[in-house]
Amino acid sequence: MSAKKTLVLFWDTLRSPPATISLGVLAFGGFVTGIIFWGGFNTALEVTNTEKFCISCHEMSDNVYQELQETVHWENRTGVRATCPDCHVPHEWTNKIARKMQASKEVWGKVFGTINTREKFLARREELARHEWARLEANNSLECRNCHDYDSMDWDAMSDEAVFYMQPAAELNTGCIDCHKGIAHHLPEPSGDSPVIAQLEGKAARSLSSGEDYYAYKPVTLFTGADRALPAGNLSLGARVKVLETSGDTVKLSLDAWRKNKGYGRVLYDQFGMNTRVAVLEKDAAGDAALVEAGAAETDDNTGLDWSPVKVTLWADAEGFVADAGLLWDVASESYAASCSGCHAQPDPDHFSTNAWPALFSGMVGFTNMDASEQELVLTYLQNHSSDHSSTH
Amino acid sequence: MTTRRTVLKGLATSAAAGLLGPSILTKAAAAATTSEGTWHITGSHWGAVKALVKGGKVVEMKPLESDPRPTDMVNGIKGLIYNPSRIKYPMARADWLDNRDKADRTTRGDNRFVRITWDEALDLFHEELERVQTTYGPSGLFAGATGWRQTGQFHSCTNHMNRAVGMHGNYVKKAGDYSTGAGQTILPYVLGSTEVYSQGTSWPVILDNSKTVVFWASDPVKNLQVGWNCETHESLPYFDDLRDKAAAGDIRVISVDPVRSKTQKHTGAEQLYLNPQTDVPFMLALAHTLYSEGLHDQEFLDIYTLGFEPFIDYVTGKGDGGVEKTPEWAAPICGVGADRIRDFARLLASGRTQLVFGWAVQRQQHGEQPYWMGAVLAAMLGQIGLPGGGISYSHHYSGVGVPQTGASMPGAFPLNLDLGKLPEHDSDDFKGASTVIPVARWVDMLLNPGGTIQHNGHDITFPDVKMAVYCGCNPWHHHQDRNKMRRAFQQLETVVTVDYSWNATCRHSDLVLPACTQFERNDIDMYGAYSNTGVVAMRKLVDPLFASKTDFDIFTQLCARFGRDKEYSRGLTEIEWVENLYEEARSANAGSFDMPPFAEFWELGEVRFGRGEDWVRHADFRDDPEINALGTPSGFIEISSRTIGKFGYDDCGAHPKWMEKLERSHGGPGSDAYPLWLQSCHPDQRLHSQMCESDEYRATYAVQGREPVYISPEDAAARGIADGDLVRVLNSRGQLLAGARVSEDYPPGVIRIHEGAWYGPEDASIGALDTYGDPNTLTMDVGSSKLAQATSANTCLAEVEKFEGPVPSVTSFGGPREG
Repeated sequence: MSAKKTLVLFWDTLRSPPATISLGVLAFGGFVTGIIFWGGFNTALEVTNTEKFCISCHEMSDNVYQELQETVHWENRTGVRATCPDCHVPHEWTNKIARKMQASKEVWGKVFGTINTREKFLARREELARHEWARLEANNSLECRNCHDYDSMDWDAMSDEAVFYMQPAAELNTGCIDCHKGIAHHLPEPSGDSPVIAQLEGKAARSLSSGEDYYAYKPVTLFTGADRALPAGNLSLGARVKVLETSGDTVKLSLDAWRKNKGYGRVLYDQFGMNTRVAVLEKDAAGDAALVEAGAAETDDNTGLDWSPVKVTLWADAEGFVADAGLLWDVASESYAASCSGCHAQPDPDHFSTNAWPALFSGMVGFTNMDASEQELVLTYLQNHSSDHSSTH
Repeated sequence: MTTRRTVLKGLATSAAAGLLGPSILTKAAAAATTSEGTWHITGSHWGAVKALVKGGKVVEMKPLESDPRPTDMVNGIKGLIYNPSRIKYPMARADWLDNRDKADRTTRGDNRFVRITWDEALDLFHEELERVQTTYGPSGLFAGATGWRQTGQFHSCTNHMNRAVGMHGNYVKKAGDYSTGAGQTILPYVLGSTEVYSQGTSWPVILDNSKTVVFWASDPVKNLQVGWNCETHESLPYFDDLRDKAAAGDIRVISVDPVRSKTQKHTGAEQLYLNPQTDVPFMLALAHTLYSEGLHDQEFLDIYTLGFEPFIDYVTGKGDGGVEKTPEWAAPICGVGADRIRDFARLLASGRTQLVFGWAVQRQQHGEQPYWMGAVLAAMLGQIGLPGGGISYSHHYSGVGVPQTGASMPGAFPLNLDLGKLPEHDSDDFKGASTVIPVARWVDMLLNPGGTIQHNGHDITFPDVKMAVYCGCNPWHHHQDRNKMRRAFQQLETVVTVDYSWNATCRHSDLVLPACTQFERNDIDMYGAYSNTGVVAMRKLVDPLFASKTDFDIFTQLCARFGRDKEYSRGLTEIEWVENLYEEARSANAGSFDMPPFAEFWELGEVRFGRGEDWVRHADFRDDPEINALGTPSGFIEISSRTIGKFGYDDCGAHPKWMEKLERSHGGPGSDAYPLWLQSCHPDQRLHSQMCESDEYRATYAVQGREPVYISPEDAAARGIADGDLVRVLNSRGQLLAGARVSEDYPPGVIRIHEGAWYGPEDASIGALDTYGDPNTLTMDVGSSKLAQATSANTCLAEVEKFEGPVPSVTSFGGPREG
């Protein structure tokens, strides 16, 4: 009998009402069974907390368990080994039970063969890893810290390189997983997500409040309605939006911006006459007065082009925003300083104007390894910190 | 805190071999040992080379077998390592060592130095930084000048000097460079990118689509011999294809140049001669013809450009006092007949035309104008963004036009301080002066402390600089007007130079520290600065010669003087740094381009990423000018720029214009006194001033031991000069000795001395005869305009005469006089 059939039969039995047993017998039986089950439950719980149990599934045994054996957490000069539950099961009882309840999903996955081949496992690895990273980020790497602790580190015994990276982390009490992803198992194949965006993911706003301003930290798709059926364009990285309403994972937002009155008005900029992009709209959405409300045009003296202020009201997924633009600029300024000093000293952001930066940046960025998202974020950072925004230059 | 570096490090350490497929690797290992010695692969500006090392000595250098067109200059590399001009040990100028800031500065340049120990030298370096920071503050120190450092991403000496000096204190920096100063300033306003350093349309696309290819003062066959990183020379075979297509009549190749260039001769191109510095009148007449004959693309102008009307009013004479810029108007200025101008305009408009500009025409007074005008012509032709059409300003540089692989390349040693770290002296009080100076104006800065100039919409106030630091940078080659420089250098209390050979910058310094050559250290480089063809290992061939050290060691030890050596080096050794740079690139390429683990790479010597993708410059803009807007203020091509117009400069207005030069040959200003135009373009047998000291190789092109001056048969005959004669070249600014090369390639009124010839004055006096032939003894030191303030090296007139009398020996080479 297949596992699926057994499960179906068991479920059917449970659903049937009792036919012949009295209430008393049922209650007493339940009590006795409860005692037996409680003992059994704890025993079973402990059994599921052993490495032997974890690797009894070939999904674990063939993949992550093999990878663990290549690492220092398996074999090292002091003979201490971290087994699966040491890192993956909370040691405190309530959290442990909570984690076990979540594990029902894993049983489901086992039964239905979600990752029963290497290919399926690799395809899902990123999703699985992200769950575990998120859990460790949420508890500030508690399971790592059961053994490793900043307070117990002997800086003098460490290599200079280790001290170089570790000391600043200790000062900020940075969680271990923030830097040491992939320390015990292989990392997911690169998903195409920019490392810069991956850095910001942990800092994303968990819930958005109406009436507050937020900043896009990754490309956010805009929609024409709350049903998110028809795409209206994309927010640019660093774009500031005001949240009007939230409903589940959908958010209604507004954007005060400017557009040039040459072309279809698809590109929105943050200020009059300033080429700092905040969104790129689809042609239909850009021309829809219900979504994009345009004000009176003004002529930009530096180009002779007419610009109109626009108020845009659109919908988006609530993911992809941070509450503090400073988080974006910290990441961007670090990337700028590192990437643009390979050949020469990078100019200060306020050495050039907002409208000069796109030309200079596009002229040189080919020499860096920045991906498209990183380029967009860094350029937006430079434009937002240009001589137009600086009082000293 | 989480940095990208740490994330990448995590990625690197965990990227297990099992997940990576087989690599694209060359089969030959880097090191092959035979009885004759061991062959190693290494990289250089002149390409990847194999070096035979035996008994701790490099005995032979040859190009890598896979180099499709090796440069002859590989024959000069060995002479860089074993050379009498090498700086052997730390040295100090004799009088300066005794008297420091009270020393006699008028004797600077007399080349008298004494040997000191490394400890003394680094203590002196540190003491002087300390003295200047505490006495004058950051505005007293200039350390921003940089040059074509030796190759190698880790040892890149610019980064080492900036990081170490920057850890000690703040200092005055530079903006722009000597190669493209005017171009990189004007083109952002016009085409929305610096363009000069941008990737260009792939050569296969040009060869397949262009009907006409115009090289405008561009000589790629000469200049593509060298690259900013390890050069692949993959670009050069395309010029064979171009030659074949020209011969078959498929493509018409035209060289707009007063001189028959190497590229013209290689491709069999037709020459369109025009008088030097008269490109703009010629181009205005082309625009006039295109417009008056309706050959311009009005639809393209309407959709993709702004500001055509004010410009065309200027051309047709509605503006500018009614002067119409007809071919007849331009003909006497540019020396090209009116009908020839019309024919050329019609040819440009007759089919797909690729314009390819070199950098020489923007290295002159008003050098912004011909570049702007080139973009205007390309816009009028309406082919920008089409395959094989439009305009390029970069196809002669570092392999531009070779399809790019898209692979990530190794980073470099950090130029900056680590995040959150401050210098020892963290004052940023520049006493009201500017912190960044347009690079070609630093001599004016020394001569006019407190003075102001206009620059690109801002005012620059010159700081009062007392000390300068140079590292792998030779301003006594790349700056103009040596005798003005000699006056300016008397303002400096202390000059420190770190280099590997005793060039004229060392001669004019007070403290000179010997770095080793790139062949005496371990490093890594990208193979192909634009093509990202691969990564090349640069394994140390021999230990540092004499008392020289790596730049890394020198600056680590300088930082130890103020207790920050571990922060400087991050506690990593040379090879650990090299490995980290490699592994970061490897993890960035994971999933896209396979790279073997470092140890394997180090044995193989190189890794390659295959052929890149064909690409068309500006195609995205043409496809959707709104979404893919240019980086100009408007997002469109700006034929007129209101932004520039609002600066109100008299030497760079709201649209391209013809302006007369301070000096111009062929009847122009100053030509009655000094009739010959001196062009000082990039050399054919050096990389700027690098390799000039390579004695055996220099002997292959020198004339009587002097730098050649190329001159037309007519001008030579009129002066009684024969090929091979020693001549004096002079003007009101200076004088030099050179060897005459009489050549049919040069028209009357035009001479050439390649820049980078080492300055070798007879003595320390201002006006001294240069004994070898550095053209910047004669060039003019004025800004291109108030916009770019770039070099105007190619605005220069001179006279040539046969040299009579006792011949002074060449003083450029062989190091200082000791004692």
